[in-house]
Amino acid sequence: MNDLDRQIEQLKRCEILPEPEVRLLCLKARELLIEEGNIVYVDSPATICGDIHGQFFDLLELFKVGLWCPETKYIFMGDFVDRGFYSVETFLLLLAFKVRYPDRITLIRGNHESRQITQVYGFYDECTRKYGSATVWRYCCDVFDYLALGAVVDGRVFCVHGGLSPSIQYLDTIRSIDRKMEVPHDGGMCDLLWSDPDEIPGWGLSPRGAGFLFGADVVRTFCHSNDLDLIARAHQLAMEGYKLMFDRRIVTVWSAPNYCYRCGNVASILELDEDLRQEYKVFHHAPPDPRSVPVKRPPAEYFL
Amino acid sequence: MPVAPSHPATFSLPNTDPDSATRSTDTDASHARLSAARLGYLPDPFAPLFVTRPAGVSNRPGIINVGTWLRTRSVDELVEQFVARTAGEGEAQVQVQVQVLSVGAGSDTRFWRLATGPLKDKIARYVEVDFPEITASKARSIYKHRELKDVLGECTLGGGGTSLHSAVYTLLPVDLRQPPSTALAALTTPAPAPPGSGARAPLLSRTLPTLVLAECVLPYMPPQAGEALLAWAAGAFGGAGVGVGVVLYEMFGLGDAFGGVMRENLAARGIRIPGTLPSLAALQSRFTSAGYARSSALTLQDIRTHYVPPSETERVAQLELIDEWEELDLVLRHYCVAWASRGLEGEGGLGWGLQKAGGAAGE
Repeated sequence: MNDLDRQIEQLKRCEILPEPEVRLLCLKARELLIEEGNIVYVDSPATICGDIHGQFFDLLELFKVGLWCPETKYIFMGDFVDRGFYSVETFLLLLAFKVRYPDRITLIRGNHESRQITQVYGFYDECTRKYGSATVWRYCCDVFDYLALGAVVDGRVFCVHGGLSPSIQYLDTIRSIDRKMEVPHDGGMCDLLWSDPDEIPGWGLSPRGAGFLFGADVVRTFCHSNDLDLIARAHQLAMEGYKLMFDRRIVTVWSAPNYCYRCGNVASILELDEDLRQEYKVFHHAPPDPRSVPVKRPPAEYFL
Repeated sequence: MPVAPSHPATFSLPNTDPDSATRSTDTDASHARLSAARLGYLPDPFAPLFVTRPAGVSNRPGIINVGTWLRTRSVDELVEQFVARTAGEGEAQVQVQVQVLSVGAGSDTRFWRLATGPLKDKIARYVEVDFPEITASKARSIYKHRELKDVLGECTLGGGGTSLHSAVYTLLPVDLRQPPSTALAALTTPAPAPPGSGARAPLLSRTLPTLVLAECVLPYMPPQAGEALLAWAAGAFGGAGVGVGVVLYEMFGLGDAFGGVMRENLAARGIRIPGTLPSLAALQSRFTSAGYARSSALTLQDIRTHYVPPSETERVAQLELIDEWEELDLVLRHYCVAWASRGLEGEGGLGWGLQKAGGAAGE
């Protein structure tokens, strides 16, 4: 068994890797990712996944439903880290799969794959707690900068974390972005990671303070201009695991069941077969286990 | 903490007090208040004074701060309106004051904020009741901090440090699950007279407009006990042109997936919430059967969307990054502010309630 396979087995048991191994894994990942375009072109069949947010034991449930990599070819649409208790193990497992089976898994950047956001929402704290310093957080953030911004399956299904941008009418425009940096506060790259579809005409301001809201007409035009059947995106909690909108032209796929150990939602993955037929596989959160919510961590907070 | 056992054979007494978990919710509330105050959601100079080692308390997540902000500003608004409106009517305006009874008050700072604000002369009496462990801790905080004690003036402690009396403010230990006619009898019956003088007036009077506050209290009680408390308040106060108002803040509608997880998560802390109601309509009908003529109820989500002036929403949006809008909406839809009244009609109190923010042009 080579080092990488051993690391994958270790991570599957939710055990972290020593810091020097994380450094090497991140370096190898960067070498691979730097060769990928801003948009990765993937052939069907493929399975599309939404936000994971460090819910490692729920990610294991996802793989039970969708089978392990490399048996299944995966596209993960970002937000691997923050909020959950196991962002380190979650991100490193996905990254190890990427390095071991580069053509069987695509990792797209989410708005949480950012230095600024991870310092607020938990990944930074988790790294310093588990490693005693911010070094591993820095290694991971350097990988974040190289993650793809989107993927296209068979030229017909566009996968992106957040949504569309008023400054991007064509997929070709995305290809010309210089992505290798921290997520900017505005502009096309920011919008791809932050925007949300909404029942409005045209474009609207987002309550998130970054990205935009976009309506059915925007989606229709974008799909038409780029010859797309579907836009698959993540970024927003969907209580039923997925949510189709706008004549099924756009879908939100959400893969973090019982989000934040508080929301009570189910999760899903989207399987596209050779003919791009869609099958949504719904799954539930991992059964209560002393490990799924660490004993020393308080349960989710409420307004009591 | 239980006292060390006197008999050396009994080493470890298990913590068999089932109420300690419920009491711990006050620590959640006081830390949330401190966090919201520190970050500028709700400036409250009194918030750190009721927290042990406030410097060691980290700020709460944004979602909790937003909830604390909405809850506090809504209850503040209802209290201020009640105090201002019902005290301002009639011929002899100066004499007309109101009294407030806050049940399960915990470490609430509202009395100190009112007593140092423009409405301070309108408050005839302000009574807080809670578990004795909570009132004892609150009394200690008051004695420890001049900023709190000076507002009260002359104070006396009683009940082994579990009660505190001053000219306007009174703190009393009560188990609210007992029948209110006995548990709260001390509020409405004349105090024992000192030898040689007539009976003293009861703490709370029938002739003053009365506001009852219960923030996150009834859910922890058996449903019948909550109903009995509301019915008792409707009957014990007001009458003949003098009104009674009630303001509640609580979780509700827990029959869905979110509610199931909430019950599980709270049960993991030993907290049970048998007194939650399934809907806003159920909250209103509980008021009706308890004898209140008018009632209203809004979710915190309704309030955030329609009842906060846009300028305030914009100010708060600058305080910290809130990324999780869907989760925030989901949580806010499961909490409500509800208010009800009886006998306020004759006092110009018809308009008592939260008002929609004007001029908000959509989201």
